[in-house]
Amino acid sequence: MDKRDEILKIFSLNLRRVISSLELDYEKLQEIRLRVNGPLIVIYDNKEYFITKDSNLVNLQEEAYLVSQNEIRETMEYISNYSMYAFEDEIKQGFITIQGGHRIGIAGKTILENDKIKNIKHISFINIRLSHQIKGCASKVLPFIMNGTEDIFHTLIISPPRCGKTTLLRDVIRQLSNGHSKFLGQSVGVIDERSEIGACYMGVPQNELGIRTDILDCCPKANGMMMLIRSMSPRIIAVDEVGSKEDIEAIEYVINCGCKLIATVHGSSIDDIKTKPILGRLVREKIFERYIVLNNRITVGNVEEIYDARGSIVYKSGV
Amino acid sequence: MLITKIIGVILTVCSSGAIGIYFSDRIKDRMNELKELKKIILSLRGDIRYAMTPLPEALKVIASRHEGKFETFLEHLSKELNELGGITFQEIWKKCVEEDLNETALTKKDKVYLGQLGENLGYLDKEMQINTIDLYISQLETEIEELTGSMKEKTHLYNCLGIMLGIFIAIIII
Repeated sequence: MDKRDEILKIFSLNLRRVISSLELDYEKLQEIRLRVNGPLIVIYDNKEYFITKDSNLVNLQEEAYLVSQNEIRETMEYISNYSMYAFEDEIKQGFITIQGGHRIGIAGKTILENDKIKNIKHISFINIRLSHQIKGCASKVLPFIMNGTEDIFHTLIISPPRCGKTTLLRDVIRQLSNGHSKFLGQSVGVIDERSEIGACYMGVPQNELGIRTDILDCCPKANGMMMLIRSMSPRIIAVDEVGSKEDIEAIEYVINCGCKLIATVHGSSIDDIKTKPILGRLVREKIFERYIVLNNRITVGNVEEIYDARGSIVYKSGV
Repeated sequence: MLITKIIGVILTVCSSGAIGIYFSDRIKDRMNELKELKKIILSLRGDIRYAMTPLPEALKVIASRHEGKFETFLEHLSKELNELGGITFQEIWKKCVEEDLNETALTKKDKVYLGQLGENLGYLDKEMQINTIDLYISQLETEIEELTGSMKEKTHLYNCLGIMLGIFIAIIII
């Protein structure tokens, strides 16, 4: 199933008709946003457009197709495969990952139990973020991550949302796992808490992560890192979007076990990360040996700067 | 003339007896199908309880493991659900119950219960699914129990009635 089909099948019949008639390059399509009684919006090639009833991309809100409550309800039925119960844990976190690794963000009325979010009802806002696999996008940063021909540096990829950090991480994993003329492929353990990296569907990764990669799908990062080290003895551990206290404790465990770590985090710079209460400590203690900072100034996934453990720039983009 | 009459009597008694056997077999078939249905629903409950498997996937896996009379029903259900064609789960379930179970010995009441199961599946959380399935299983168990109690008498009755009816018609003909 190609990306177009993966995306189109989750929409209600009406929306499917409108979106399928658009002439889109799905590689450039980044987001589709549905809001109850709001206009149908796409982020395409880094720009925002409204979609009209006649399936055209326009800049005028007045011409936009308005999404109804029923269309959102029908779309949610398809997203969850008629089985909302199967996504209870994901819904608590506010998103569902579908076949192909695309992330569906949802918002509505939260139901609380003992001050914790139990579920979300009356889902009225949906944000579909398309997952992109760009093979070779990590080639530029790999020489800065590699430490000889068999080892790598502990690396933290820092990026604001929608700047391609998961895409970069995916390709880094693939290349380190497969190896190439200057680097011997290493066993990589991936903890894919949100099924975004490998996009496993019924246990089978939909994205290529390399021949020496083991994936723990839908597993909490902190538990997963320890589990993988004990069970699969990886040389490299890769995780997406670290940040919680448990994550940081697990990172320390990984590093003390002699494994190398590649992680991503939301942020805009090293200084930004230093201000984070728990992760900031790891930066100050110089645990990470490489920091890759991304932006989307020229294109999504643009590598802005790469720093070493002391914060000295080892690479700087011209933009 | 006598031979013709004898042949006629034999044919009448045999065909009438066969009708009796057919009806008694229907009762046995219904019993087996209710038990098979229970097995299927238990598998579905297991898939939901332990693996939180979405319904289309769970039904497809169960269909691949069962070769009985419900295979078509399960496969059709899973196929329709995967098509995401603009109809609700309840409508798809009802449609499949109506279309795919005509060859079975299930009664109208059995189909109504099965149809009601589909009305609440997929809705709300895991607990709701388990409760809905448990309710249906208890309904199935009641039916199986009632049928077990009366099956021996009923099959015997149908067999006897068939033959008796044949003899009765034969006497009238003679």
